[in-house]
Amino acid sequence: MSIRLVIESVVFVYPDGTRALDGVDLEIGPGELVAIVGQNGSGKSTLVRHLNGLLRPTEGRVLIDGRDAAHFHVAQLAAQVGLAFQNPDRQIFAGRVRAEVAFGPRNLRLRGATLERAVDEALDAVGLTGAADANSYDLGYSRRKLLAIASVLAMRTPVVVLDEPTTGQDARGVARVRSIVERLSAEGRTVITISHDMRFVAETSRRVVVMRAGRIVLDGTPAEVFAQPNWPALASTYLEPTLPARVGARLELGSTPTEASLVAALAARAARAAQEG
Amino acid sequence: MTADGEIGTRRSTLPEYVLRPTSGPYRSLNPATKLIIGIVEVVAAFVVGHWTGPLLVLLVIALVGWRAHVTRQLLLVGSLTLPVVGSILLINTFLLPGATDAILRVGPLAPTWSGLAFGLQVTLRLLAISLALALVYLTTPIDDLLSDLEARGLGRRLVFVVGAAVNTVPRTIERAAEILDAQRARGLDTEGRFWQRARGVLPLAAPVIFGALTEVEEQTMALEARAFSAPARRTVLRPLPDSAAQRLLRWALFLGAVAAVAGEMAGLLRLP
Repeated sequence: MSIRLVIESVVFVYPDGTRALDGVDLEIGPGELVAIVGQNGSGKSTLVRHLNGLLRPTEGRVLIDGRDAAHFHVAQLAAQVGLAFQNPDRQIFAGRVRAEVAFGPRNLRLRGATLERAVDEALDAVGLTGAADANSYDLGYSRRKLLAIASVLAMRTPVVVLDEPTTGQDARGVARVRSIVERLSAEGRTVITISHDMRFVAETSRRVVVMRAGRIVLDGTPAEVFAQPNWPALASTYLEPTLPARVGARLELGSTPTEASLVAALAARAARAAQEG
Repeated sequence: MTADGEIGTRRSTLPEYVLRPTSGPYRSLNPATKLIIGIVEVVAAFVVGHWTGPLLVLLVIALVGWRAHVTRQLLLVGSLTLPVVGSILLINTFLLPGATDAILRVGPLAPTWSGLAFGLQVTLRLLAISLALALVYLTTPIDDLLSDLEARGLGRRLVFVVGAAVNTVPRTIERAAEILDAQRARGLDTEGRFWQRARGVLPLAAPVIFGALTEVEEQTMALEARAFSAPARRTVLRPLPDSAAQRLLRWALFLGAVAAVAGEMAGLLRLP
């Protein structure tokens, strides 16, 4: 089910002359859990839209499972790479939640019981089973966002891209998104998230790619990317390290991007102190 | 780990009608002056003679359009009127009531010289009217026109309605493009045959329409929250250049148009 994504020296220039991607090289292996972060306009959304052919490189190429994406329609690539857009209101159109979720898989020729099962599973994953027959526009923003994610999950693509999945979500919604991402990853699917929520990024991802002005400026594990030496690079793209990372650095505990890693580092220090004392 | 990168630059993405230059002898005129010229051209095309008015107006538009560098856009506008004017020309040529001076007879069809002449006159009038208004539109930033009309006493609400409608267009186009992308990302095939592309209309229409309505509603509420309906008299934030000569010109054109209409009604204008 998993596929490899390769972005080779991709340059993308919008018709107005904006150079949104400036020679991006990126390889994402099967089953990876990657977050792409960066300031607004750094090229994150432009980059992921190359993965399903919505945008085509001005220079360079995109390989989906070894095949050049240039040779495939968006509709064909959509079977490989599912993309949930940032703004659910630019995606939702069907009157009923169930119909909205079924739209993608129906386009991929799923029918009958298989389609129903895909829809039910997706609704269950985002916690909207009880709203299956509700009017899509009657849902609040947070739930419309989850609906947009469900409509992509139902397509059962090997790669799932979530653009700003936590925007507009309360703590419960963020926890829901986190569980969705972890579940997809556990299934072996490649998950790519775009987010400005550094806590979500640090706690959810196993790899963080930082973009600035159409280029990748940092690429590593959360512990590597949020380590103190990289703070100037993060600051240059208007990102802040997470609170645990800052506390860990202040206490000279090393890189502690998450609460869990901070607590572990503190416990390790306490254990060492106990041994020495 | 990698570390690299430089800050790039973004170009303006403001729509063309906002960025229209206002330099040059015609473009730099006050929007009200251009509007009056346009209206007088419309009146002249209608009332001055059969051929003289429309031909004279088209000549003026062609010259001014050339000087204002909008000839290509005017030709495009003219071509858009072709289906209508073509129909008018054909109907009048073949079916003008009372016309008997047949050009030729082909079975039951008998095009007439007087029908052709009348059809051509109507065609020239419609072209002149379309291009006169298009010339004003193409050489005037919409915001300038609206704020000038508001400063001259046009109702604030009317100005807002027109402005909101005009400004909604580029935003709706942008929204429609993103909505289309969202549906294509879910496998909607818009790159295939016609019926496949046609299927894409429904998933586009609802979010575009609902989105536009919601946006205008939110914009209205945001305006009200900033005292849009307050009865106090507004100061003009950005007065547009005007001059005594232009005021005189506007009055002269207005009176000239009234005189032309009166002269035509009284049968005093006997131009061809």
